[in-house]
Amino acid sequence: MGISPTELSQQDVPAEPEVVKQEIAGRSPVQIALGRLRSDKIAVACVVIVVFFILIAVFAPLLTRLFGVELRAGSPSEDLDQFNFPLIGPPDHGFTWEAPLGLAPNTGHDNLADWLYGARTSLTIATVSTLLATLIGVSIGLLAGFSRGWMDKVINFIIDVFLSLPFLLVALALAPIIVSRFGNSPDALKFWQFTALLLVLTLFGWMTLARLVRGEVLSLREREFVQAARVIGVPTRRILFKELLPNLIAPIIVSISLGLPAFVAAEAGLAYLGIGVVGIPSWGQTIDNAVPFFNTYPLYLYAPLVGVFLLVVALNLLGDAVRDAFDPKTRR
Amino acid sequence: MFGYIVRRIISGVLVLLVVSVAVFALFFYGPADPALAYCPETRCTPTRLENIRHSLGLDQPVAEQYGTYMKNIVTGGEFELGAIGIDCPAPCLGVSFKLRVPVTEYLADRFKATLSIALGGAAIFLTVGLTMGILAARRRGTLADKGIVGVSLFINAIPYYLLALLGWLFLISQWGIFPESGYYGPIEEGPVAWVKGMLLAWVILGLAYSTAYARFSRGSMIESLNEDYVRTARAKGLSERRVTMRHAMRAAIVPVVTIFGLDFAFLLAGTIFTERIFDIQGIGLSALDAINGKDLPIISATVLIAALFIVVMNIIVDVIYSVIDPRVRLT
Repeated sequence: MGISPTELSQQDVPAEPEVVKQEIAGRSPVQIALGRLRSDKIAVACVVIVVFFILIAVFAPLLTRLFGVELRAGSPSEDLDQFNFPLIGPPDHGFTWEAPLGLAPNTGHDNLADWLYGARTSLTIATVSTLLATLIGVSIGLLAGFSRGWMDKVINFIIDVFLSLPFLLVALALAPIIVSRFGNSPDALKFWQFTALLLVLTLFGWMTLARLVRGEVLSLREREFVQAARVIGVPTRRILFKELLPNLIAPIIVSISLGLPAFVAAEAGLAYLGIGVVGIPSWGQTIDNAVPFFNTYPLYLYAPLVGVFLLVVALNLLGDAVRDAFDPKTRR
Repeated sequence: MFGYIVRRIISGVLVLLVVSVAVFALFFYGPADPALAYCPETRCTPTRLENIRHSLGLDQPVAEQYGTYMKNIVTGGEFELGAIGIDCPAPCLGVSFKLRVPVTEYLADRFKATLSIALGGAAIFLTVGLTMGILAARRRGTLADKGIVGVSLFINAIPYYLLALLGWLFLISQWGIFPESGYYGPIEEGPVAWVKGMLLAWVILGLAYSTAYARFSRGSMIESLNEDYVRTARAKGLSERRVTMRHAMRAAIVPVVTIFGLDFAFLLAGTIFTERIFDIQGIGLSALDAINGKDLPIISATVLIAALFIVVMNIIVDVIYSVIDPRVRLT
């Protein structure tokens, strides 16, 4: 009966929206980011790789014993032939459980033990220097941003000075100076080699974060909640740590997650260039030693190369994922 | 504008002064006794060592030594090393302990190689990076875009020296696809030898750096493609090519200039890994040799020169930035 309204769309009036009975849960930015990360397949794969290396680093002594190898136990006269190549295992004698990754030419040290302890050196130095650099960067950034005035100017100038120094050159020149200043006895030498590397990496790792934090603080300190806190008489220290710092968590976490791979790469790179820890196994150093043997003994080079490559790439991709997860603008 | 530039130059000079004091203090209190480098090991008597110290001016107070160092940069100086006197003309950064030549002259010669690496590499990473970035931005969301972003993230995640090392090991040493690397003067030994020696270094450097440019220019290109004036340009009926190249890209390129200026300054300051892996005799390698040989004048000169490049480039970038982007006001 009548004209059917074909011209009109079926639903002129939108249907009543279904009442979603979902509990409204407040989620902090960190929780949101974690949720995003969990659904990111690449990030999960990277976490697995990184955890694998952390386990190796933590249990390096146990693993070396498990494989029945020993760190720095080689002796050139017993383990090497007249060409300074190993008598057992690769490259000339095939695989052997006595030395799964072979022995190093010239020294006869076990490569697997060196590799396992190399992971330890790499991750320890990277973690400690990242944390130190973060600590310095955040405190200086807070200080500069909150004090403004001449203090801010001075800090900015210092940051300018540090940013205009060529990192690699200064690091290469500085580390030996620190070592020979303080490393008087063999024990002290080992300690100071380690410390020198940490100091150099920390010294050049804090500036970007300090700038970032300073900028954030400059804008945050004018916001109402900070003003309100000040009005009710909250002491400056409390404002800094209870009001401002929680708002800086995201940039700090992002900076840490992008800083770690940079420090791992820097440690190996400096060791490759011939400074760094000489007494302690380091992947970069092994790479430097192994390059001339690449044509005759490639496994010697591949082991540390794969170590640095996998660890740095995994950490970097994870860092990128973390950055994206914290960025509200990225659409995934 | 003029006032701004003057202020920037003053603060730049201040930064350089602080750097020079820091470098000088560092190496003065550093461990290596420079005089030992001149003293023949077998016949090094304490009196002889003392004489050498005196002729190098190392027995003077630090402040005085620093003063002489600074004076020599401006006026030049003369050095007496044993029987031979070495004349060190105006921007004098001292005389190398090991090589016994004025540092400025030596580094200026080595700089050609570093400049070659930087120029060739920059040409590649700018073209490749910008092309990829613009391509990805225009095809946003497509497979090509995702591919470019993914590959650039991956290459960017690899430490540069591993990329260079792997490139050298396989492409030159093992398979011989690329010619042996090394520096040959483009005029002395001919441009062909120059390009051949630099080729892989350029390609690897270009590849590694282009990733950042691709992502950066993609980001700013996407932003400017969404601007109203681009829509207007399209509405006027301009060709897509003209819209991207003339309208969108000119705005998108502004932030790229900033990172390019700094990257280029750092390249000029010494490409240590590239030079070491590809055996190119530039400033980076000479600094590395100097560090191993404890040749203090060369080390401090390279640090100072690097700082100079970075400071100058920073000023230039800021000035250029205000010229190409009218929204930026210098205060």
